[in-house]
Amino acid sequence: MTNPPQSSNITITKDSAFSVKINRFLALLQRLLSNPTTVIGLIIIGLMLSMAIFAPWITTANIPDPYQMPRDWGAVRKPPGEMGYLLGTTNEGGDVFYGIVWGSRTSLQLSIYVVGSTMIIGTIIGSIAGLLGGWVDEVLMRIVDVFLSIPELIFALAIAAVLGPSFTNIIIALSLVIWVKYARIMRAQVLQIKQNDFVDAARIVGDSKFNIYIKDILPNAVTPVTVQATLDMGNVVLIGATLSFIGLSEAGIAEWGVLVSEGQAGIASGRWWASTFPGLMIFLWALAFNLLGDGLRDALDPRLEDR
Amino acid sequence: MPNNQFENNVLAKVKDLKVHFNSKRGVVHAVDGVDFEILNGETLGLVGETGCGKSVTGRSFLRLLPIPPGIIKDGAVNFKANLVCTRCSGKGCSECGKSGHKTEKGEQVDLLKISDTRMREIRGDRIAMIFQDPGKALNPTLTVGAQMAEVFLQHRSLEILDMAGLGQIKNKAILRFANQDVKVFDKILLLLPKARKQKLKVQEAVKIMVSKALSETQVPNPLKLLDRFPHELSGGMRQRVMIAQALACNPDLLIADEPTTALDVTVEARILELIRELQLKRRTSVLYISHDLSLVRRICDRVAVMYAGRIVEIGKAEEIFANPSHPYTRGLMAAVPSNGIPRGSLSAIKGTVPELIDPPDSCRFSGRCPYEVNGCRVNDPKLRKITESHSVACFINDASLSWCAPSFEGERV
Repeated sequence: MTNPPQSSNITITKDSAFSVKINRFLALLQRLLSNPTTVIGLIIIGLMLSMAIFAPWITTANIPDPYQMPRDWGAVRKPPGEMGYLLGTTNEGGDVFYGIVWGSRTSLQLSIYVVGSTMIIGTIIGSIAGLLGGWVDEVLMRIVDVFLSIPELIFALAIAAVLGPSFTNIIIALSLVIWVKYARIMRAQVLQIKQNDFVDAARIVGDSKFNIYIKDILPNAVTPVTVQATLDMGNVVLIGATLSFIGLSEAGIAEWGVLVSEGQAGIASGRWWASTFPGLMIFLWALAFNLLGDGLRDALDPRLEDR
Repeated sequence: MPNNQFENNVLAKVKDLKVHFNSKRGVVHAVDGVDFEILNGETLGLVGETGCGKSVTGRSFLRLLPIPPGIIKDGAVNFKANLVCTRCSGKGCSECGKSGHKTEKGEQVDLLKISDTRMREIRGDRIAMIFQDPGKALNPTLTVGAQMAEVFLQHRSLEILDMAGLGQIKNKAILRFANQDVKVFDKILLLLPKARKQKLKVQEAVKIMVSKALSETQVPNPLKLLDRFPHELSGGMRQRVMIAQALACNPDLLIADEPTTALDVTVEARILELIRELQLKRRTSVLYISHDLSLVRRICDRVAVMYAGRIVEIGKAEEIFANPSHPYTRGLMAAVPSNGIPRGSLSAIKGTVPELIDPPDSCRFSGRCPYEVNGCRVNDPKLRKITESHSVACFINDASLSWCAPSFEGERV
């Protein structure tokens, strides 16, 4: 071993910490892409995302509020392909294709708002409970238990019903219901990781508690939370659509659940299209995120990292 | 107060340490009145079966006990650090002249009572620890380099800045970065081109220090090791990283909690050699916690035998191994397999370590002791000196007792 230079004449080679991060990310991506079902999920999600992003170019936006379904009373109950309506129209003359395209935006909003806020809140509360323990943990977890004791859908339904029918209220209702899952997962993770010798090792080095949390506990705890969040991106839309279906959303909004609800009256009379296409979209959305979530769980497992 | 003063060669003094754990069935007296000293530069072996309170004793030096349910009931761990220049860790620099070496004594502190901030200054800097299982003691999400960097950033930021040629720097963000105290907006400040360059310089300096520390543990190609993750290394390699990290700041006391239990025998020998070598070079004291008597005999200057939360025998290694005076020590020694013993005749101590919930007022070893007499079940033996440097907590061969003391006559061992 040659002696390294003693002082000041230090040359900067490269930001190695940064390149390590990049390499890790690339390795994760490679593991993700080596799983065919994950790739399918990613492709579906990619298509949905581009549909949401390019919505104004795919269809002409409804003025003034593009999230409101355009009504063409001259073209009610048209089957797919007729009069230029690619996927047909609803009983009220709404363009199903328009609803699907702009509905992808509403679904994306719903999942991002709900999952984003609940993940942050749940992670913070779960971490606090796990780190502090004692009566703080006891109080927080009993609150969580209360929330968990009522089935997700029923609870969300009750909250949304109390708040009144609107899309924003669905977001609020779902957030109030779902955060407890993250709090529980995070608490369990923190409790388990706290036991590890490397946390003690970091304490021995003289690290502050905050540093230990950020560097040692959080990075090791986020994997299950990330996977859960990905799965929830799909599930949230599913529950959201259910709530919209039973009329807890504004009527006439471009939302898949609302569309299914509008079309369901016609199914018996053979007008299958108005419910089927948006239903298919809900199904694909939930499926895609479930596939990605499963793939992520495998790819993020540190024990499989060398494969 | 001459009583409270340390003799010059004493580094740490554990006084009547009592650590209890609350459990559902009662209070567990895990450590129940332990007294011993660690001298400068010596290796003290702490031996005993599982559940004797060895690790708890070792961990109390660093206040690493889980509290609650643990309680430090009583006692003190007095520690007198050697003063070392924070700029050069004792190698001699412009600030401390050439006298940065460990000559002056710092003030004496009670490790159990000082503030958390003070404790953090001592942890990793003056007292370090090596764990049993190196596989669990390294964070799987950080590279070896990043993990080792922490100890330097925590305790040697001045030296790092000097090394990076930024000794006089005023930039608060860089100073905080070198102190591992990065605030939220510091991340943004550090993205500015000038600060970024300085930050990279600091990182490079840390890298050099880390690879230097690693090379001392005879790791092949330390620079390459920096960007590897712990799971990519072998057990021996991980333990070397742990040792490098523990000895990085030239500590006064190294607590080694069965550091070779998880390693195979050939690696074990090399790791032990390494610890010994680095210890002699740096005049570090080592508290070596182990259940392996043959190993302790090889490397320790003094030995303390623990049983059921107490020290039952303590003395120089030669004395203890030549003249084991506690029946428990004898039992442990008889249980070590060696060349002279014929096949099939390995002996074990009868029974197991008693539960330490509300222990009775008798000798803790009574019930398992082959030399037990009636008096042992009602009296609790205290440590008494049998030679100047050898003490034992047993009534055996104690001529001052009015009742009939047990004796080793009719030897079994």
